[in-house]
Amino acid sequence: MIELRGVTKSFGTKKAVDHLDLSVRAGELFAFLGPNGAGKTTTIKMVCGLLRPTAGSVKVGGFPASSAEARQLIAYVPDQPYLYEKLTGREFLRFVVEMYGLDPRASTRRINELIETFEMGDYVDDLSENYSHGMKQRVVFASALVHDPKVLIVDEPLVGLDPRSARIVKDLFVSQARSGVAVLMSTHLLSIAEELADTIGIVDHGRMLANGTLAELRERVQIHGPLEELFLKLTGGDRPLVDGPQLVESRDAIG
Amino acid sequence: MTGPSNPLAPRISTARQVGEAFRNLRWRLVNNTFRSSMAGSRLRLVMIAICSAIFWAGLFFLFFGGFQFLKSFVRNMSDDFIDYIFSMFFLSLLLMLFFSAGIILYTGLFQSKESAYLLTTPAPPDQIFAYKFFEAIAYSSWAFLLLGSPLMVAYGIVEDATWKFYAIFPLFFLAFVLIPGSLGGIAAILVASFLPRRPKTVLSTGIVLLILIAVFFGVRLWRTPGDLLTSAWLDGLLSKLEFSRHPLWPSRWMSSGLVASVKGDWATGLFYLGVVLAHAGLAYLIAAVIARDLYRVGYERVQGGRSSKRPRGWYEIDAAFHRVFFFIPRPIRLLILKDLRTFRRDPAQWSQFLIFFGLLAFYFINIRRLSYDTEHASWRNLISFLNLSVTALILSTFTSRFIFPLLSLEGRNFWVLGLLPLERASILWGKFAFSSGISLVATEVLVVLSDLMLRMVPAMILLHVGMVAILCFGLSGISVGLGARLPNLKEDDPSKIAAGFGGTLNLLVSLVFIAAIVTSLALPCHLYYFGQDNPDYSSQAITESQFHFWLSVAIGVSLVVGILGTILPLRIGIKSFEKIEF
Repeated sequence: MIELRGVTKSFGTKKAVDHLDLSVRAGELFAFLGPNGAGKTTTIKMVCGLLRPTAGSVKVGGFPASSAEARQLIAYVPDQPYLYEKLTGREFLRFVVEMYGLDPRASTRRINELIETFEMGDYVDDLSENYSHGMKQRVVFASALVHDPKVLIVDEPLVGLDPRSARIVKDLFVSQARSGVAVLMSTHLLSIAEELADTIGIVDHGRMLANGTLAELRERVQIHGPLEELFLKLTGGDRPLVDGPQLVESRDAIG
Repeated sequence: MTGPSNPLAPRISTARQVGEAFRNLRWRLVNNTFRSSMAGSRLRLVMIAICSAIFWAGLFFLFFGGFQFLKSFVRNMSDDFIDYIFSMFFLSLLLMLFFSAGIILYTGLFQSKESAYLLTTPAPPDQIFAYKFFEAIAYSSWAFLLLGSPLMVAYGIVEDATWKFYAIFPLFFLAFVLIPGSLGGIAAILVASFLPRRPKTVLSTGIVLLILIAVFFGVRLWRTPGDLLTSAWLDGLLSKLEFSRHPLWPSRWMSSGLVASVKGDWATGLFYLGVVLAHAGLAYLIAAVIARDLYRVGYERVQGGRSSKRPRGWYEIDAAFHRVFFFIPRPIRLLILKDLRTFRRDPAQWSQFLIFFGLLAFYFINIRRLSYDTEHASWRNLISFLNLSVTALILSTFTSRFIFPLLSLEGRNFWVLGLLPLERASILWGKFAFSSGISLVATEVLVVLSDLMLRMVPAMILLHVGMVAILCFGLSGISVGLGARLPNLKEDDPSKIAAGFGGTLNLLVSLVFIAAIVTSLALPCHLYYFGQDNPDYSSQAITESQFHFWLSVAIGVSLVVGILGTILPLRIGIKSFEKIEF
């Protein structure tokens, strides 16, 4: 459903993405991991058609990512959700329905279902300027799903969500994937990748370092501990310095 | 695997569906904004309505007097003269609307979160452009309607126009604003597509060019030979304005169409309306086609072309600042320096400061060209106080727009400052010192320049210098104090903070403060100089000894008002800021 072949994206002399190959099938939940500045957001923006690759091709459902067909298939949830401050949550959902040219009656039912799913009934008719970050994020998730996308792209999905909302969102990812949606999720939270992802891709300096199921990655790197160990090994070698010799020494002294 | 054979091929939203979605969106936004304004900040709405009405009425009477004067004193050539005035008026507006629509569209299309969101929806680029275009047109041309409508109503009344003129001039206006708006939109998309890393360079070059052109023509006009308002002088003046009547300028079409319409010459009037409408349609069509083909390309280039160039340090200035202001405690000095760096790296701040105070300086330099310096002492005194008031009013808009929001913006990062070894009060004193410092440098220079040009006596110059100092400290105290008392910690856009309730109240208090200081000092001076120039009216004036007494009283009162106006808001602000929880 999402196909990136030999994709490079340069900003001036800097290569943000370097010969990246990536594919996410229908029904697959793909977790895209990498340190800050690894090229995750740039890759996601290319899949959404906001940036064009310098080289290579990005296709969604077989269509070029910047085409109208691809945008009709995609739903994108950025890490900083955008809502019109002077619209209520419900009005925003209506706008999305109208933009995608959906049947008004069926859409009203769908909107009500999503309001219930995301537990937004208490505030969905208030102006969104009064929402907290978590409330906004829930409305944005609902707006992403209201048109039944075939591809769901999410950048840092759990930022600002309380534990209950986070659970709802995680369950939703799984149910979307099981219903045939291709889910591409970029995150720093290794635990949710470990918990939810069918496939994990680890990227650094714009290059795909490893790509496969958690078991395949463990086998390849020969680390059978938590994903964190595997991630650190792939992206930087050892543990970060801050947890280095001094702390270890002081811990030893206490012990 | 594309095209009809692709089983995933979705049903694409039609242009009609997307257009309807945008129309509904705009309607809901306008409706909700109006309703929440009515429910929330009525004071602000009432203030805006009253100020707009006063502004409109003032302009109407000014234009009405002007047209009556032209009709009675330059009777034989008043139509020609008005044609020239309109041509110049609309040509200036053409340039201003081009720049303002271009800037608003560039920001809206290429730098806003909304455009990033819309570009991921099925909306085609030309329809996103259309949505943002009409928003930009509304933002950039409301001032034009506020300025142009009293002009046209006054013109219609003086020329005894029928009701049809009042019905048709708004159509001329609406068609006209589409031309510079579309050209601004085209320029914005072309700059983004072909000069994505240099929008600020293009903008500053454009503004500098515009100012140079304005200065060039301004100087040419001032140098028109002959005595003011003689027919030789008028002929000379009109010949220098001939460039504005070129038949290819939209301003000429507007001018000729409106002059013909007011006289009931509907064939000519409607012809020119048709010309303006046709060109507006053509300009918009070209803009929409360019948006369709280049908007996404431009967006991608702007996002991908951000310069990684580090800002120039100017660290030698910072070092000099530390040396000169060694007596200020170091933590406060560092805070002032931080605000100074923000000021010089934010073109929105220094460019507005420079443009407004630059225009004032240009006017003050030309005071002698207007022969104000050879007028009677009472007239020069009046002009000097008016100049001082205008300077203070512009300063109050600067402090309301840029100083008032400082604390609200700081509040969001308060944890950074909160961890520094600083008392909270020091942060406010730092802001106060920053605001007063910048204000004093700019306004004192201007007022001394104005007084020197008016050949004021040294004692009056000294008085004005003292007044301006009181005004600078007071306006800074009010903005910093109220900014701390009424912070808006939810908003990160300083213009929205300034436009909120706190910002409006700040502007209102600043205006009252200016009125109190200027009136208390201007009144005794005016009564004294008026008596000197008009001995016949000496009963209504004051003698020299009375003048000295009342001036001393006025200085005392303005000092007290100044100290109260500075200290009181600062104390209120400090008290509130020390209690506030972030």
